[in-house]
Amino acid sequence: MRLEKCWFCSSTVYPGHGIQFVRNDAKVFRFCRSKCHKNFKMKRNPRKVKWTKAYRKLHGKELTQDTTFEFERRRNRPERYNRDLVDQTLNAIKKIEEVREKRESKFWESRMKGKKSQERKEAAVELEQNIHLVKAPGAMVAEPGLTLPKQQVKMKVKVSMPKQQQIQAVQE
Amino acid sequence: MVLYNFKKITVVPSGKDFVDIILSRTQRQTPTVVHKGYAINRIRQFYMRKVKYTQSNFHEKISTILEDFPRLDDIHPFYGELLNHLYDKDHYKLALGQLNTARNLIEKISKDYVRLLKYGDSLYRCKQLKKAALGRMCTVMKRVSPSLAYLEQVRQHMSRLPSIDPNTRTILICGYPNVGKSSFINKITRADVDVQPYAFTTKSLFVGHTDYKYLRWQVIDTPGILDHPLEECNTIEMLSITALAYLRAAVLFVVDLSGSCGYSLAQQASLFHSIRPLFANKPLIIACNKTDLQPIETLPESDALLLQEMKREAAKAGAGLVDGAPPDEEGCLLTMSTMTEEGVIAVKNAACEKLLQQRVEVKMKSKKINDCLNRIHVAVPRQRDQKERPPCIPQAVLDAKVAEAKVLEKRKLEKDLENENGGAGVYSANLHKHYLLLDPDWKEDIMPEIMDGHNIADFIDADILQRLDELEREEEEAAATAQAADEDEDMSDQELTAEETEALLAIRRKKKQILEEHRLKKSTADNKPVMPRKHDHNRQFNTGRMGQHLSSLGLDPGAAVERIRSKSRLGRKRERSAGGGDDYAMDIDQQPTKKMRARSRSLSRPHTEALPGEGYKDSAQKMKAMKIAKKAVKQRNKDARKGEADRVHYNLKPKHLFSGKRGTGKTDRR
Repeated sequence: MRLEKCWFCSSTVYPGHGIQFVRNDAKVFRFCRSKCHKNFKMKRNPRKVKWTKAYRKLHGKELTQDTTFEFERRRNRPERYNRDLVDQTLNAIKKIEEVREKRESKFWESRMKGKKSQERKEAAVELEQNIHLVKAPGAMVAEPGLTLPKQQVKMKVKVSMPKQQQIQAVQE
Repeated sequence: MVLYNFKKITVVPSGKDFVDIILSRTQRQTPTVVHKGYAINRIRQFYMRKVKYTQSNFHEKISTILEDFPRLDDIHPFYGELLNHLYDKDHYKLALGQLNTARNLIEKISKDYVRLLKYGDSLYRCKQLKKAALGRMCTVMKRVSPSLAYLEQVRQHMSRLPSIDPNTRTILICGYPNVGKSSFINKITRADVDVQPYAFTTKSLFVGHTDYKYLRWQVIDTPGILDHPLEECNTIEMLSITALAYLRAAVLFVVDLSGSCGYSLAQQASLFHSIRPLFANKPLIIACNKTDLQPIETLPESDALLLQEMKREAAKAGAGLVDGAPPDEEGCLLTMSTMTEEGVIAVKNAACEKLLQQRVEVKMKSKKINDCLNRIHVAVPRQRDQKERPPCIPQAVLDAKVAEAKVLEKRKLEKDLENENGGAGVYSANLHKHYLLLDPDWKEDIMPEIMDGHNIADFIDADILQRLDELEREEEEAAATAQAADEDEDMSDQELTAEETEALLAIRRKKKQILEEHRLKKSTADNKPVMPRKHDHNRQFNTGRMGQHLSSLGLDPGAAVERIRSKSRLGRKRERSAGGGDDYAMDIDQQPTKKMRARSRSLSRPHTEALPGEGYKDSAQKMKAMKIAKKAVKQRNKDARKGEADRVHYNLKPKHLFSGKRGTGKTDRR
């Protein structure tokens, strides 16, 4: 019994899941679910499909080269059973996992490091360029800061002159 | 070695079928149409062809039959005799002869009628001649039909004869009926001969094959022979006698000691002596069967004496075969029991051995042996002195062999273990117990294969601990350096204040809103007209709203609201002006200008009058211009009704639909 890797998305295929396709040149393709299988049939390149591990590794979104990956290697020659060795291996696997997880999270952090400053810069630029949407240029003259204008009280203006008088005023 | 196979003889059709076949073939394969208007030569040729064709077909078919059936004189005498006994040589030859004569007769008929046809002067006459010819040929065949039927029977039986090779190594089993010959052959070969308690169960020869010393041996089972002179033997007995007479084989005379076959030993002995001449030049073995019923030791005196006599005779016969060897009495008489299978193999081996020796002797004496001998050469080292040099086996090897033999005897096999624990379906062997591991306690361990989404076998490595240590060291170093370099850049000066963030959020909201509105507008495009003011029943477009909007943007709405209020005519009374030229549609501003006045003046004149400042040559031009302007502004009719552009006169009677012949079909509808 072996856990295999899905050819398309590189997730583990547990026994009883997925489909295995054997091509005429004897190359075996394993898929974890029909999504990957259908994508394969559509001849999509996993390196171009965003959600696959292949894409992520290729585009540097995930840890690619690390010593923790070299522990897990497919060995073709089986070793003679040795209880102590298996014991050590089981403990080692746990530790290796921990180390790998830590390294991956550090990688992620270093990837996301410049984000905060980038965001701030963008916000400042946006604010400066688009302040006219919420604050009229006239108000900008009055208060030059990049903030919302203070709410003004609406003035009700009444026209008291009757029309007759207006016309007379015009004709004059 | 020619293997006689009579299965390839063609089927002999009955007389009627024969005729039918030939005539129908003539009908099919020759031209069928002829008219009396044709040239006479052509008619003659037509009918001659038919006659000749029929004759040649008859000739062909009869020839194949005659050739396929074997000629009794040309085949091996064994088969010749066999066929004679089965089918009567004379009858057989007669039938074939009749067929031959029929063939010749048909040829003659055809020749005669072809000659006559050459002088036929009309279609009718030629036709009659042909009819007569064919008719006569068919009658000839019909006369021969009993022979044909007989030959068909013979053919069917012959195809079922066993294929016996008369020249190869053979063992012939003979004796009284019911002594156990068929049981014996069943035991040593794969033949499945009927074994029944009544006499003459075996009614014909049966062949089986067995192996001895890497060679194939034929074993022939014969029907039982009764002790009476040759003339009184029936067909079945004659079969065995023929076999005995013509096949060069080892003879195995089977005797029943117990007498359960129904015949006493005396009768069997007398049979033996009467057919003794048939055993000349054949290695003979007397096999005493049914020793489980009557072992040879407890045989009564008289029977034992008879047996002794038979043995002596057999030995004498055997002495003549192999030169130089003394008569071997003991090798001639053997006991066996086909029921319990003891002694059966020994008998077979003895018979085979004897025959082999005889055959080798014969071969040695023939001339061809020198060719064989020339090819064989055994190299033997020349003796240089009288010292004895036996093969040398070290003592350790001999001891080991002895010990191994002992171990093999005492060892408990897996099969025994399986049988103890419930048999094949119940017990499953424990394969773990033979594992070679460093510590035998680990033999029954189950190794885990999967953990936490990993295959454990991928991680197994002899120096995994060392590599793990390296990894942990790396990790610690990395952690240490990371702490040293880990300091966040202070970017608090770039942070936005609370009000600025508020403004930013407002901006984003506004952008979203604009985008949504634009998308709505885009999707509906020209289909949604702007609601005209007169249908604004809810009075949404009012100065209050405008004022709110402006103040949210930070402007003072007072001035704008005032201006609007002063200009709007809603709620104001309409006043006729004294001049009659004042348009009340025009709002009066607080400070009207002269310019406006001039405009209003122009409206009191006819609209087609070309005023100096407008740029028209004359009023006609102005009228034309106004017309064109109106037309340009005209709205498109979107009611999906026929418009100006749609008054197209199609071709109501296209020529291709209203003229011409059709390719297929009728043209009565257009």
